[in-house]
Amino acid sequence: MIEWAVLIGLAAATLRVAAPLLLASLGETIAERGGLLNLGIQGAMLLGAFSAFIGAYFTGSLWIGLVSAIVGGVLATLLFGVLVVSLDLDHVVSGLAINLLASGLTLYFTRVLFTGGVSPYLGELFGPLPIPILSQIPVLGEVLFSQTGFVYLGLISVPLVYMLLTKTTFGIRLRAIGEDPVTASYLGINVVKMRYAALFAEGMLAGLAGGLLTISMFNTFDTRIVAARGFVAVSIVILGRWNPWGVLAGSLLFGFTEALSLRIGIIFPELSGASTIQLFALLPYLVALVALVAGGRRVRGPASLGKRIGKQ
Amino acid sequence: MTNQLVISRGTKRSIVRALLSVALTLVATSIIFLINNVNPFLAFIYMFQGAFGDINLLSETLIRMTPILIVSLGLAVSFKCKIWNIGAEGQLYIGAMLGTIVAIGIGGGPLALLAALVVGALGGLLWAAGPALMKVKLGINEVITTFLMNFVGIYLVQWMISYPFRSPDTLFPESAAIPSTSALAVILPRTRLHLGVVLALALVPVVYFLLERTTFGYKVKVVGESPEAARYGGIEVGRMIFVSLIFSGLLAGLAGITEVMGIQHRVRGSLSPGYGYTGIVVALLGQNNPLGVALASLFLAAIMNGSSTLAWTMNIPMGIVDLMQGLLFVFVLASEPLMRFLERRGVLKL
Repeated sequence: MIEWAVLIGLAAATLRVAAPLLLASLGETIAERGGLLNLGIQGAMLLGAFSAFIGAYFTGSLWIGLVSAIVGGVLATLLFGVLVVSLDLDHVVSGLAINLLASGLTLYFTRVLFTGGVSPYLGELFGPLPIPILSQIPVLGEVLFSQTGFVYLGLISVPLVYMLLTKTTFGIRLRAIGEDPVTASYLGINVVKMRYAALFAEGMLAGLAGGLLTISMFNTFDTRIVAARGFVAVSIVILGRWNPWGVLAGSLLFGFTEALSLRIGIIFPELSGASTIQLFALLPYLVALVALVAGGRRVRGPASLGKRIGKQ
Repeated sequence: MTNQLVISRGTKRSIVRALLSVALTLVATSIIFLINNVNPFLAFIYMFQGAFGDINLLSETLIRMTPILIVSLGLAVSFKCKIWNIGAEGQLYIGAMLGTIVAIGIGGGPLALLAALVVGALGGLLWAAGPALMKVKLGINEVITTFLMNFVGIYLVQWMISYPFRSPDTLFPESAAIPSTSALAVILPRTRLHLGVVLALALVPVVYFLLERTTFGYKVKVVGESPEAARYGGIEVGRMIFVSLIFSGLLAGLAGITEVMGIQHRVRGSLSPGYGYTGIVVALLGQNNPLGVALASLFLAAIMNGSSTLAWTMNIPMGIVDLMQGLLFVFVLASEPLMRFLERRGVLKL
């Protein structure tokens, strides 16, 4: 019989590991609604994670780490913008270029800055921030109101991004571009400016998503720290049908799988020590693939998604 | 009658584009060297010496080139179809693992070698078949699925060499060694250069023929240039996408098992330092032309091996390889609009 406390722990862990996925996929939603298929989000997260660590480590201030996370993420998405928006190059290849460049940059400078190429641990990190009174509520308080600031930020961002996309002039124009950039520009919408703005927003969210890995979750930096989270975020956007609420549901699904794979030994103590337990490491990726098969078939995204302007 | 070699304008453009991207990468790397207080000219000379300085270093560079070349020839075919297989790394590991199991199971001899190579290649194909089906039947972006399959594949191989196929006589998680009688033979005495390099080089004309002289190659190109036109012309677009993707998986698997049978002789977690990703840069730099891919894979292999010399002579960390790869990728992309700009300005005439 699984204990109640274990389940509460699993639920809390689900939200905790869903946070980077949620922030990143909300960012990707904004970009994709504008027609930009940015697979470089993986690289933006990595650069965010690296610059957060560098910022926090060398200044001793987590807040400076937080700001540098945003700067790192935005730099990566703006470079994507130069390739895709300004030069009208292939979205997929440009995204891959950003990813490889980010992994090269972070690997090289980690080895330049730290002996043995191993980043040290940070003295402190952004820990849980229990909300007064609310965190005292049984179950819910522990699961929902004793999380880190990043979790709250992700959850609050869901309705905010939803309103941005559906209720503001910016959002309506951005979605018009996503459907048909050529017509949108005939109607007087500045496609280039709007798309850069969307990428700026995505960079901030992706940078935070990467940054929280170093300054709130793992306490150190490793070039493999992002794992496949950027690509999982892109999958979540598809599964969530380019809608922030759907994206929230998708992030929770993947957060749950990851939390489960991390805690499988705690949930099923009889399994711990068994060799098969190691296999659970691949569970999140397998679930992502299965989810794409089940829910990603022939879904229609924004009409101009991933298409070059010159080819339309 | 003149007997000179005629080079088409398209080929000339490709060559200029590749050289331009390499030049820009070297300039950008020089700037990084200067920031680190290292003389870039000296650094590149050391790098060159480290890659080609003597017969031993040269053969090590060719050994390094072998898996990169095999992987990127396959990727060139799928990229030509505009199918972005970024899962070669996982396909390589699965191929290496399955081939090794077969080689050990058969227990040595040329038959074991042949069976291992075939099974290894098929293992890679199998690992690409899932994403290929998902792309063709369900319309799911292959970039996402092939990348996710890397994690599934590599974790699976990690587990296999940690538990069911772990070597009983080593402390580290690694498979048992293949029987020495089934290894790829050394072709140059006193070096480690093995038959795999011959296999890789032999694949260059094969893939060239496939792309340039067969209807398959023609169809792949048409689908890559315009799926609508291909469909209109009666080409089964889905089938071409499927075949080109599993073909790149086939060669990725072959690259993995070749690396085992030729050099490593067992599967370790460190079997590939990212050959599957390097292959993407190589195919792009070689512009999906098998000959270009061959030259590009030699170049990347030289950077990899040269940088280890750089590490102990000038204290430049090995990460420089990844950084140069990333820069190269960006510059290959950006060189196309740059060339158009230079042509408009009349600076470049082709």
